Amino acid sequence: MNEEIDDSEFYHEDFTTASSWEILVANMEEIVHQWKSDKQHEKTPSSWDIKSEKLIYMDHNFDFTLYKRTAKECSMSENKPKHVLEEYYDFTLENSNSQDALCLFDWYGLNEFIVCSTAGRIEATNNESKTKILLSALTVLVNNMNLDIPAFVQIQEKWQKVYCGVYCSNGIRTNFDIVHLKRGPHYCQNLTGLLQLFKSKICSPCSIENITVSCKLTYQLQEFENFCNVSKDIINLGSLFKLPLGLTTSPVKTLSLHAVWSCLSEHSVIDSDSQTDFVLMRAQQWHCNVEFEDNLLCLLGDCLSEYLSILNNHNTIYDILGDYATSNTPEMNPLDVLTEPAVPTISSLIGKATKFRPKRRRQRYALIPDETLVTLLYFLFPDAAESGTVPYGVQIEHLPRKYTIINNRDEELNNIKTCNQESLVWRLSLVLSLCLQNFGGLKAFCHLWYEFVQEMRYRWENGIPIPGVSNKMPDLRTCLLNQKLQLLNCCLDRKIAPETQKFASAENSEDEEFFDATDDLDEEKRKEKYSLWDKPVGRLAKFNDLKLIKTGDPLYIPCTQDPVLKTEDQLDEDADMLLKLGSDNEASELRARIMSASLLSDMESFKAANPGAILEDFIRWYSPRDWIEEEELDEYGQKKGSLSDRMKLDNNIWVEMWENSRPVPAHRQKRLFDETTEAEKVLQFLDLRTVSQIVELVIPVLSHASLERVLDEMEYFPMEIPHSQTRAISLLKHVQAISRDSKCDIKRFEIFMQEITALELQISQISFLQSTLNPENIEDEQINNMIVAFVLGRNVNIENKERSIIGARIMELFKLHTQKTFNMAPNELRDRFDQIHPVPAQKEFVLRTDCIRPNLHSCQSPQFLRAILGRNEFRLIGAFSEDTSFF
Amino acid sequence: MEENILTTLKILIIGESGVGKSSLLLRFTQDNFDPEQTLTIGVDFKTKILNVDDNIVKLAIWDTAGQERFRTLTPSYYRDAQGAILVFDVSNYSTFTRLGNWLDELDIYSTKNNIIKMIVGNKIDVQHREVSREEGFAFARRYQTLYIETSAKTKDGVQSAFEELVRKIIQTPGLWDSFQNDNIHVGGNDQRNKSGCTSYCTLT
Repeated sequence: MNEEIDDSEFYHEDFTTASSWEILVANMEEIVHQWKSDKQHEKTPSSWDIKSEKLIYMDHNFDFTLYKRTAKECSMSENKPKHVLEEYYDFTLENSNSQDALCLFDWYGLNEFIVCSTAGRIEATNNESKTKILLSALTVLVNNMNLDIPAFVQIQEKWQKVYCGVYCSNGIRTNFDIVHLKRGPHYCQNLTGLLQLFKSKICSPCSIENITVSCKLTYQLQEFENFCNVSKDIINLGSLFKLPLGLTTSPVKTLSLHAVWSCLSEHSVIDSDSQTDFVLMRAQQWHCNVEFEDNLLCLLGDCLSEYLSILNNHNTIYDILGDYATSNTPEMNPLDVLTEPAVPTISSLIGKATKFRPKRRRQRYALIPDETLVTLLYFLFPDAAESGTVPYGVQIEHLPRKYTIINNRDEELNNIKTCNQESLVWRLSLVLSLCLQNFGGLKAFCHLWYEFVQEMRYRWENGIPIPGVSNKMPDLRTCLLNQKLQLLNCCLDRKIAPETQKFASAENSEDEEFFDATDDLDEEKRKEKYSLWDKPVGRLAKFNDLKLIKTGDPLYIPCTQDPVLKTEDQLDEDADMLLKLGSDNEASELRARIMSASLLSDMESFKAANPGAILEDFIRWYSPRDWIEEEELDEYGQKKGSLSDRMKLDNNIWVEMWENSRPVPAHRQKRLFDETTEAEKVLQFLDLRTVSQIVELVIPVLSHASLERVLDEMEYFPMEIPHSQTRAISLLKHVQAISRDSKCDIKRFEIFMQEITALELQISQISFLQSTLNPENIEDEQINNMIVAFVLGRNVNIENKERSIIGARIMELFKLHTQKTFNMAPNELRDRFDQIHPVPAQKEFVLRTDCIRPNLHSCQSPQFLRAILGRNEFRLIGAFSEDTSFF
Repeated sequence: MEENILTTLKILIIGESGVGKSSLLLRFTQDNFDPEQTLTIGVDFKTKILNVDDNIVKLAIWDTAGQERFRTLTPSYYRDAQGAILVFDVSNYSTFTRLGNWLDELDIYSTKNNIIKMIVGNKIDVQHREVSREEGFAFARRYQTLYIETSAKTKDGVQSAFEELVRKIIQTPGLWDSFQNDNIHVGGNDQRNKSGCTSYCTLT
């Protein structure tokens, strides 16, 4: 190439002086220069630093990629060998199959190399002359730049992983070449043949004597018996408490055992057609790795994804259930049977359930069968059955945890806005998941929800409290569904409370007054003062010893209306309404008027209970701080006083309201909170939910339950799951966010689902390996570490081979496997079972030598051949070097 | 300015009746003092845009009635508040002793577990103090809240009280950003509490 041309722009302008091939080389050089000047990425998560650029040559796109092991991975960098092939390396313990070209590392042990391959997936450089052109470009590049990195061109089909390469260093050029065939020639099937091939390929003028041989035999175990079968028919009560977790099939695709011999002299071993020294039991080392199945079905992850799949379904349950829900007459509903006012015995219930069945059979197909439905409903409403159910609030005893995954687990999980684990909503979400996953999908899901709503309505109409829901005011720290049920339960409470009890106190106080009157004759006279329409009503209790200012009668606290209860969605509406008014003074006054309904109600109750009372009396009870006492006593022996300044203001809303209020006891006032309307609103809310809305109500609880499930699993697990803490905390963050999002964030739920599925998969893989490789559950750090390494896809060296616990167990598995196939053989063969050895699935040989090439006076250069002999693959991977001096 | 708003924060003002909650709010939002402020019925609110350390936030401040009878109504509005100002009257000891009840109420009804609490001793302009600053301090330290003394009448401390509260809210991860950025540290609870202990302001 011309020396004076160092400005790349020049090339683009003057095509007469440079061919496109020269431009290609120049571009490559430029890229390599750029890479060299690039700063090292200090923090790459993977063990490979990969830089890639695009090249165009002859209208074809090429990827020009540099692969480099990160510094911490290659510890040998301090004393760098003279030649890349001299790095001592035979078989890797890592599985680096993630990137195609990294097989070059596996095969040659290269820590740094450049690959030029066609861009895209399909195209391949299979034209020989094109290959040669590219290879010569690389050769020029390597020579021009004195590049100490091997450079490769990928040829043939991409999946074949065939590369040609070149490397120059210290006057030695190495050519890399790969042969890939479906089946190799017969003379290449053993070491003897391969040695011959190697020697003839080197073609050295001297005889070659010092070849070192390494060998790896791979034995594979593929059929793993299924270990966990989920029966979909039988529901057992205990299993309802937990979301499913685990796999239905074996996660292991292949367990490979590698018998490894390293650096033997060619003369010390024999491996020919008739005889071999390479026998599993005589190997120097055993390596083992496990390949897992892809696309396994994880039960918990599957459950969550089922929800995700119906999240966009905007049908109501009636759309989906169709005739079933609409034509069902009330008495045909099994729930009515379930919750008769007098708690029925199970036998009577089953009797009734079966009685109705023939009629219903015709209508239902994908719906939940009766027996199952009854079990599920008893689980949700344990109070409907006499025995055999688990009522709410029964603590399940926990074993001591093996690991602490999240510090203050209980406290942290309480911050999730869902509900108590001992609550109806919790159980409902578990049962809904079960229906969705196992009992017929969406229809069953809707069916259960329908039955649930029917049950709610039934309980409301018949005044039966809902179990597993507190009857206190809606707790805003729980999820919306729980709040709704709490509200319904509060309404039920108020409905059930007998009318007489509500106003009993009022009558009592009158009795009490009667006794007072007998003590004091003056009192009796005063009582006569009350005209018929001015009789005190709705008294709760005396308020300390205060007396009315004008009349001197005792001041009574009135019975007041029950507080208004609201769920968070209603509160949001209210707050929105208040906010919309704006923030000026006028708006403030308007707000005060809106909010004053309860004040007016209290004033009216007060007037009814205390005839003759004035505003001052009311204020003394209602806002004592606005009554300023004086030292002087009035005629009834109580301190005189006056209203505070702010109470005396003109146009004061308090004064105005006092004047406008009439004496009406609480029970005759307009209701501030009408339990019948409110309960009906809740029932309507539940009834008219679309599938998507039901899912949104359930997702927070479901996510919480999934997290609990995984945490439980990890805490009692025989060994620690890698990164369990970080992963658990990440999940916790997601659940906290999901529970607090006002609108369901699908993306977040998806991420949560992926994370939890990955964790579930790993848990299942580990527990499968644990039960397969360590069936006696021996507590051993080393075994645990090995199993974790398998799951992380690493190749593990089994120390002490068959004498170690794992090694012995693997041998046992191989024997069991052989025995299985062997059982079909004639009896006499079976006796010789012990002599039967598994057949290797793949053989791999590495041959190395240093020899003089091409000429008698050349210096020694490294030669390398790796042969991989598989059942369906034959591959020769060679690297042959020659001295470039003098020739 | 509107478009640069970082977030909207919900702040509560609670405390016994007559301690000056509405006056405090009026002073802060309109820089005004009305000795004849009427009694709040239920809840009221005002908004204000505040710039704290170059973070522009919009405050929606909910003022509540202090009367016992309104206690069934007002806690519903505690939902999702990021900060709470608990006011007492330094010239009335009983309003100070009731603070414990108000803190309990907050714990029960606030839906954010890491809500920032600030205790404000109001009416420091009056001659006769019944609650000393030391007592206020000790109380705030015990309950790990912020503490500040103000006078809605003379303006003292009002602005700083709100600024300090907002600053603290902004510094608390996961409180206002509603998990948008994943910078929440679940294990960081202890740390928060610790820093809560030491952050008293002696502004008067």
